[in-house]
Amino acid sequence: MRNHKGARNLFLLVAAALIILLLSFGQNSSSSLGLNIIREGFFFFERIVRSPVGFVHGLWLDYIYLVDARQENQDLKKLVDEMRVKCMILEELREENWQLKAMMDYRSEHQEFVLYPAKLLAQDITMVFKSVIIDRGSRHGFYLDMPIVNPDGVVGRVIAVSPRTAEVLLVTDPNSAIPAHIEDSRIKGIVKGRGINTLSLEYVRRAEEVHIGSAVVTSGLLGMFPKGLILGYVQEVTTDENKMFAQILISPSANMEKIEIVFGLGPHVEAAD
Amino acid sequence: MWKLQISLFGILFVVIFVEATVIPHLWSPLRVDLFIGMIIGLIIHTPYSQGFPFVILASLFLQAFSGARLGYLPLLYVFTYLCIDLLKNIVYLENVFTQLTIGFLFFLVTTTAVVASVQGSIIDTNLGALLFGAVLTGSMSPIMATLVRHLKSTYES
Repeated sequence: MRNHKGARNLFLLVAAALIILLLSFGQNSSSSLGLNIIREGFFFFERIVRSPVGFVHGLWLDYIYLVDARQENQDLKKLVDEMRVKCMILEELREENWQLKAMMDYRSEHQEFVLYPAKLLAQDITMVFKSVIIDRGSRHGFYLDMPIVNPDGVVGRVIAVSPRTAEVLLVTDPNSAIPAHIEDSRIKGIVKGRGINTLSLEYVRRAEEVHIGSAVVTSGLLGMFPKGLILGYVQEVTTDENKMFAQILISPSANMEKIEIVFGLGPHVEAAD
Repeated sequence: MWKLQISLFGILFVVIFVEATVIPHLWSPLRVDLFIGMIIGLIIHTPYSQGFPFVILASLFLQAFSGARLGYLPLLYVFTYLCIDLLKNIVYLENVFTQLTIGFLFFLVTTTAVVASVQGSIIDTNLGALLFGAVLTGSMSPIMATLVRHLKSTYES
């Protein structure tokens, strides 16, 4: 009986082997139907065997092993907060570094002048007038009508000075007027503030050819501003046949809303003598 | 009287700090006029002999923080004081909503007047900042008026 059963099992195994061999017959690749069926069968077998093991493994890892995860999570959150603050500080330092670098470059480019650095203290309390108060005054070399610049261009001029502070009238103020010319065409005019972040170049005849994007620089007339300091770029030119002068709008090179550190532009000691 | 005046100047310095440093730091084109609220409070709670001199002196202080021509801000605030003083006989100034509306309107009116006299067109102003500034000024006016009332009542008692 036992021998009979063993022979039957052996026969079944040999039959199965033959079926697989037959299914694979004639195909030299490993993707024959028989081998594929075996692989698929193995896949399901593996899944069935693996699932209870995976369940126990998951139970261990996700519940029992995570007893300290809450504390660890809190610690990590704290660490992330610390890192965020550090990132913020580093970002601020990077910005400050960039500004100082730009100013050092500017300083080396303008060695004919003495540059007096100053920080912004307060801004104009009205919406219409554009002036700022800086934290340096006559004690630090600032004087009335002193040109104030930053690496981007002209910011304004000193209109009031006390020992420790100075008031600067920005170029965008409606009361500001600076003799200037267009750098490429040498067309002269007066740059006036318009209250908002725009300037206008006045008294340029409408027949003159003015190109959009041309740089407008100080002309040095009246002696208040040295020649060649950049004021802005031509943004828009409008001509009217009934008017003698063209209306030229200029976008200021220095962003007045973002100024933090500025330079007072003083004459060199030798030049002053 | 002197205690009240000194306290008012103390508040004025805080007002200047907020107007010239804090607010522009938050949003550069934005300006808020807290002094209008103080003027309303002064008109309601102090006699003319105390309120008016303070407004003249305080507006000279404020002048130091503006690029406006000398005398421009005192003129503006004296005009505001006299106008609100006249309004006192017409509207119930003690009402919070009246104070709010007056603060809002006077900010708009004075700014528009200055724009018109200086640069010609209100369109050249940042309209969003102007309206937001007017709303903030209106909202702060009752608070400033209440502050003046508290000072007055403190020194009277």
